[in-house]
Amino acid sequence: MGTNLIWWSAIALETVVLCRGVKAALLRKYPLFYAYVASVLLIELLRFSSYEFASDFYQAFYWHTELVTIVTSYAIVFEIFRGSLRHNPAVARLAQTLLLVVFVLTGTYVASDLLHGGFVSLPRVTAELGRDLRYVEGALLLVMLWLFGRYRISFGRNLLGLAIGYSLLVGLDVINLAFLFLPGNEFSIGLRKSLPITYLITLIIWCASLWSSQPEPLPPAESTIDRDYAFLAAKTRAALAHLSTRVERTLRP
Amino acid sequence: MSGLIPIVLLGTLILIFSGRLLVQWSRRSHAQVVTIEDYSQARAALDSVFAETAAIKRIFASEDMEFISQAGTGDVQRFFLKERKRLAMQWVRMTQKQVAHLMDLHLRLASYTYEPSPRSEVKLTVNYLCFVLASNGLMILLWLFGPFEAVRIVAYTVRVAEYFCSVFSLRLEKIDPVKLS
Repeated sequence: MGTNLIWWSAIALETVVLCRGVKAALLRKYPLFYAYVASVLLIELLRFSSYEFASDFYQAFYWHTELVTIVTSYAIVFEIFRGSLRHNPAVARLAQTLLLVVFVLTGTYVASDLLHGGFVSLPRVTAELGRDLRYVEGALLLVMLWLFGRYRISFGRNLLGLAIGYSLLVGLDVINLAFLFLPGNEFSIGLRKSLPITYLITLIIWCASLWSSQPEPLPPAESTIDRDYAFLAAKTRAALAHLSTRVERTLRP
Repeated sequence: MSGLIPIVLLGTLILIFSGRLLVQWSRRSHAQVVTIEDYSQARAALDSVFAETAAIKRIFASEDMEFISQAGTGDVQRFFLKERKRLAMQWVRMTQKQVAHLMDLHLRLASYTYEPSPRSEVKLTVNYLCFVLASNGLMILLWLFGPFEAVRIVAYTVRVAEYFCSVFSLRLEKIDPVKLS
C-alpha cells in the first residue's frame, strides 16, 4: 500500500512538473531536463505495469530501466552546466577541462572495476554498470558544485531548484549504491527504503522551483568588467605582495 | 570496505556543496553584479588597513611595555597587555577580512574573463592559502603570548628562515656541477 502510494505520488508529481513546464514556457528553456522527466515518467508507468501484471519479469526490468534512467540523467548535468555558465566563459572553459579529466579518470576506474568483476548474470552486470555510471555522474556533479561555490556563480530560482533537487538525488543515491553492493550490510536495506522518499522530495523541489519562469541573473555590463585575465591576476598578485611587505615591515621590531 | 569510504565521501560532499550553493543563493542580495570599480575599492580598503603605519607599529612597540613594567602596578600591566592584545588581534582580523573580500572579488571578476590561466589561479590560491595560514598562526601566537612576545617569535622565525635561505643559496653556489655529473 505504502509502495503504491509513493509510486503514484511520484507519477503525479512528474506529471505536474511536465505540465507546469509547458504552461510556464520552461520547456524551451530546459529541454533536456524535461526530456529526462518525461522519460522517467514513461519508465515509471512501464515499471508499474510490469509489477502489476508480470511480477517475475519485474526485477530484471527494473535494473535495465534503472540503467536507462541513469544514462538519461546525464542530460541534467549538461543542462545545469549550460544554464549556469553562460555568462562566465572562464569558468565554463575551466569546467570543460576539469569535467573531461574527471570523466576519463572515473570512467577508466569504473571500466577496470567492471572488467575485473567478471560476468555473473545480466541483471547483475546491468546493475553494476548503472552504479558505476552514477559514480561518474556524482564526480562530475561534485566538480561543478565546487566551481559554482568557488567563483560565486549566481543562479536564478529555476536553475537553482533544478541543481539542488538533482544534487540531493545523486548524493543520496551514490551513498546508497555504495552500501547496497557491500555484502552483508544491513544498513543499505534501510537506506534503500528511504530513497523513494528522497526522490519525492526532489520532485517537490523541482515542482516548487519550476512552477513559474523566474528571471535569470543579468550579466554585467561590458564597461564595468575587465575581460583580460592576465591583467586582473597581476593586479591581485601585486596587492598580495604589497600586503606581505607591509605586514613584515609592521612586525619587524 | 576500503572502496566504500571515497564513495560515501563523494556523496556527502555533493550534499554539502549543494547546501553551500543554497546559502550562497540566499545571500545573493548582498552580492550583486561585481564590477572593476568594486575591485578597486577593495584594494583601496586593504591599503587603508595600513594607512596609519605608525599607529599600527605602536601596537607592537616593546618600549611601551617596558615603560609600563617599570612605572605601572600589576593591574595596570594586565590591563595594558589585554588592550594591546585586543587591538593586535582586531588588526589581524581586519586585514584577513579585507584580503578575503579582495580574493572573493578577484574570483568573481575572473569568471567573466575570456582567457583564464589555471596556473596563475593555482599560484594565487597558494599565495592566499599561505596568507591565511600565516595570519591564523599569528592570531594563535597573539592569543597565547600577547603582541610583544608574538612579534619577537615572528621576528626570530623570519631571521632563522632568512639565515637558512642564505646558507643554502651559498652552498648551491659552491657546488661543482662537474663533480655531480
